[in-house]
Amino acid sequence: MTALGAAQAAELLIRTAETGGTAAAVTLVGGPATARLGARLVRVRDGSGDRRVGALGSEPLDRAALACLDDAIGDPRAQDGIRTIHVTGVEPSTSEPYELYLELRRPLRELVVVGAGHIAQPMAHLGALLGYRVLVLDDRPDFATRERFPDAHRLVRTDFSDPFAAVTLHERSYLLLVTRGHKYDYECLVRALRTDPPPAYVGMIGSRRRVRATYVQLLEEGFGQEDLARIHAPVGLDIGAETPEEIAVAVAAQLVLLDRGGSGSSLRDVERVAERFFSSDAHEPEADRDDTQ
Amino acid sequence: MTHEDDRSLAEALAEARRAGRTCALATIVATRGSTPRKVGARMLVDPAVGLVGTVGGGCGEAEVIESARRVIETGAAERVRVDLTEDFTTWSPAVCGGVMDVFVERVSDPSLAQSASPGEPEA
Repeated sequence: MTALGAAQAAELLIRTAETGGTAAAVTLVGGPATARLGARLVRVRDGSGDRRVGALGSEPLDRAALACLDDAIGDPRAQDGIRTIHVTGVEPSTSEPYELYLELRRPLRELVVVGAGHIAQPMAHLGALLGYRVLVLDDRPDFATRERFPDAHRLVRTDFSDPFAAVTLHERSYLLLVTRGHKYDYECLVRALRTDPPPAYVGMIGSRRRVRATYVQLLEEGFGQEDLARIHAPVGLDIGAETPEEIAVAVAAQLVLLDRGGSGSSLRDVERVAERFFSSDAHEPEADRDDTQ
Repeated sequence: MTHEDDRSLAEALAEARRAGRTCALATIVATRGSTPRKVGARMLVDPAVGLVGTVGGGCGEAEVIESARRVIETGAAERVRVDLTEDFTTWSPAVCGGVMDVFVERVSDPSLAQSASPGEPEA
């Protein structure tokens, strides 16, 4: 088995995260005197399955490390840092544990805007501002242009009969359907609902009437109530948005809300500072309950 | 580290490797208390270029650089414990209040300079 250098391991983690996969690496940073410090083992999980690259020096150690890597990949709260493992069956036998430095790289958070029209432009700006990698897809090359989308990471010319042919949707994809035709939005929606693992967010623009028509069609197609529940349509938070820019703000606010878990209400109404602390019938016990911030 | 940090470090590593330069890579692998940089922060000590990235600057970083020189020389990786808990009255820059563990290893080692296999598929 070939040794895996720091440069190749770093490259592998980056490439995997950029192409929609998950990778975790361990570096041997402590252990018995015989441990090959600096040896690396990487687990890559992507569209083509699971594979391992590199080795730590013995098969029992590799097996224990792989279990550690798979645990981390499966744990949404896993953090980079030291993992201490005890390994049996390694010669010379020792009770001293091995210390592995674990690094986890998940797919980059991507905002995939389908349809490069009026809403897409402010949406791409706001997405980039919020730290998403922004992809803009359209079938019209003169719409998905660099001039119109200066901060998009990728502009993709696509055919709406197979809209995601050149894009990998994954569990960190945030999909916004704002094409010029409801027919196209529908095609994209069907594909998105069949994606496994499902995207983190599927939003579709449309009036109540058009959304309802789309749902009728989806149910006829064989989708169930639970599929409809995954769709954010009409899209965004109810802030009275009318212009494309305002609609983009409503969608951006919804993305933040889903990410951070807010209530979507005015903080004033959530906190009621004036009523709790300064109204004539505010009394001490309530005032004492102070900050939740 | 952000994706951009990851990227610039990977580029520096790749460049050193292409040029056949032996460098040292320092990684903060654990911290306790308040430290200027957190777990995962990296610094490449490249004798030809200098430092790429930082593990926090100041005295702590000086210890790491010293270790890096040894590691480049001997090839034996080190674990450096940087203690930033000194009494603030000494005016030392090491008053962040924390302790960090830094792993320092030799990289672009000619003996490791073989291309990585694309990986072995698993069932």
